[in-house]
Amino acid sequence: MRLGKNSVRYTGLLAAALLAGTLIALAAPASPARAQAAVTTDDIVNRLGGLEATAEVSVPVLRQRALERAKSKADPVPLKRPPVAAELLKLPRLAFEVKFDPDSSIIRPESYQTLGRLADALVRSTLLPYGFLIVGHTDSTGKREYNLTLSQRRADSIRDALVTTFKISSKRLQAIGLGEEQLQDSAHPAAAINQQLQVVTVAKAS
Amino acid sequence: MSFGDAAAILGKSCGKDIDANCRGVNFDSTRLKDCLYRNQDSMSAQCKADYSGAFEAIQKRVAARAAVAKMCEREIVKLCGGTQKEISRSLECLMTTRGVSARCNQAIGDAGYR
Repeated sequence: MRLGKNSVRYTGLLAAALLAGTLIALAAPASPARAQAAVTTDDIVNRLGGLEATAEVSVPVLRQRALERAKSKADPVPLKRPPVAAELLKLPRLAFEVKFDPDSSIIRPESYQTLGRLADALVRSTLLPYGFLIVGHTDSTGKREYNLTLSQRRADSIRDALVTTFKISSKRLQAIGLGEEQLQDSAHPAAAINQQLQVVTVAKAS
Repeated sequence: MSFGDAAAILGKSCGKDIDANCRGVNFDSTRLKDCLYRNQDSMSAQCKADYSGAFEAIQKRVAARAAVAKMCEREIVKLCGGTQKEISRSLECLMTTRGVSARCNQAIGDAGYR
């Protein structure tokens, strides 16, 4: 079903997706009441800091790899589909719930606060040395190539808001959409948690 | 005011107005402010009361970053051995060294570096 994809039907999973490098608790859905405002600026700063050196991550290479896999229809079944960019899973990262208009990259007003908090975190002196990759994701409903494109547009939209509204340096921000090629809960490919956005720390100024 | 708080006010006070009049306009402060301004006639009282202030708060915090170089000129050069062009390199020093002036301290806070 295309209409309404990845839109307001988020259930508000603010995943503590990463703890000490381990994926945990992805199966437990949070209640909608806990949505959105749960992530604080301090949480973001704590999670995204601490990268020792710039990671060997090439965004164009990852983009190409994801596109080729979606196009070739490799790993056809979403259940247990392996992540297309496993290297990102080793880096400091945090999952965010950002709501968009249906089938669109327009950020919903109820998610402005989350964007503002992310901007606050990126300005903190602790995070100033770092560069980040904003990663868009979708669940497994809909076409794979469409999902890839939609998630790229949404990741771009987050980066644009950070750059235009909050004047975060564009040099520190890259964006990529991985569609349903990097499922955050591959045991439940249609689960809403798969629509979360991830911010990954990828670079450190020398 | 933090970016988070200013953005929260905007989303909360003007969410319905944005849906009604600015569908398709993304969270780009210039475009969104223009759109809301153009639709003032049909704007909710809450949004009307809050939107300028929220955008101003964001603008103020952005401008505060540029002010740090000026307000902390002496400290950056004398205490931290840095240059005004690369404030980020002096920030940690500015935030941990004794003898930083009150106005420099204030500027660092206003900019949201702390």
